[in-house]
Amino acid sequence: MKQHLGRQSGVQSVEVSLVEGRVEITPKDDGKIDPAQLIRATYDSGVTVAEMQITARGKMVKDSSGNLALQTAPNQSFAILPNEKSKGLDELAGSTTVVTVHGELYKKPPGKKKAPPSLPLRLELLETPKKG
Amino acid sequence: MTTRKLALLLLLGAALPMIAQAQIQHVEMRVEGMT
Repeated sequence: MKQHLGRQSGVQSVEVSLVEGRVEITPKDDGKIDPAQLIRATYDSGVTVAEMQITARGKMVKDSSGNLALQTAPNQSFAILPNEKSKGLDELAGSTTVVTVHGELYKKPPGKKKAPPSLPLRLELLETPKKG
Repeated sequence: MTTRKLALLLLLGAALPMIAQAQIQHVEMRVEGMT
């Protein structure tokens, strides 16, 4: 799995902890990494992703449905699930303010052991976003 | 013509820092079934 993930576009390095069942991925400096592709690649290597968390910088935008999203690249954005931590982000939508967020992008539905990952991904903030 | 070039430069100047700054910095997964 480590080698399979390491071959994915935008991946700098992969650290695997067998004991904890944790995989840490460091993106290349250009940041062009696709979390959905990583989940699919993990699933293809016979391992189930129970949870994925990311730390990302980007600007707040409104998607075509009017939902708040974090844009991390011109062609990449993640819808934000409204919660306590996301309060106030609406005001930044459409501005050039860059925020750094840490949140959960994917969580396996309970009860399903080998279900393929459901996409699209939505970002649930775990910490209050920081400006800059 | 000069004004258009200047406007384009200003636009690129504003867009490039955003592109450079915005990115995924770290990804962590908890996995099951790994041996």
